[in-house]
Amino acid sequence: MNKRKTVFVEGSISPAFIANSIEKHQTKTSIGAHDIFLGQVRADQIHGKIVQAIEYSAYTEMAENKFHEIRETTFQKFDLTCMHIYHSMGIVKAGEICLFVFVSSPHRKEAFKALEFLVEEIKKEVPIFGKEIFEDETHVWKVNS
Amino acid sequence: MKLKILYFGMISEITDCNEELIAVPDQCKVAQLEIFLKDTYINLQGLSFNIVVDKQISTSDMLLTSANEIALLPPFSGG
Repeated sequence: MNKRKTVFVEGSISPAFIANSIEKHQTKTSIGAHDIFLGQVRADQIHGKIVQAIEYSAYTEMAENKFHEIRETTFQKFDLTCMHIYHSMGIVKAGEICLFVFVSSPHRKEAFKALEFLVEEIKKEVPIFGKEIFEDETHVWKVNS
Repeated sequence: MKLKILYFGMISEITDCNEELIAVPDQCKVAQLEIFLKDTYINLQGLSFNIVVDKQISTSDMLLTSANEIALLPPFSGG
């Protein structure tokens, strides 16, 4: 029913891409509510150095399996019309978008609940690894809290 | 037998490669592999990681074969 979709995009996710994605839903008039989560790379200060970018890598095949499972579970749990997930691979600079999750439903409450569930599952279950890179080209590995 | 092991994130820095074939005794279980790897790569000791077999989280008593794809995954940090 729901064919496998590509989640990973190279580099950051542009505001224009997000706007275009919203625009594409104007023909789907059973939708009454969209909810969107945008993950943005933070310029954290770690041991006196400031994060300039995160370089993402993944166990791609397992990650795609997990995204598929999470999509199926979310569709079963919530009354959604559609769902889109995009995650960056490679370098994303501080201030740029690295995760775009977009859910649409006839009504707002389902959209709110589904979005929170989705984002939490993605953070917990998908084997993606972020390397926080500093200006002097040293790095630390990020761990989700 | 030989096992194909994939390394990701901070673990690939410790092992200094993204994948390798390692020789282990036949009938090797996940728990034995973990001990072997921690002996080989001292810096894996004290690090939190999961051993995934054929893209599924494994149990320590799982029997391994050379057909398995094994991966060492550090904590996730997507999003």
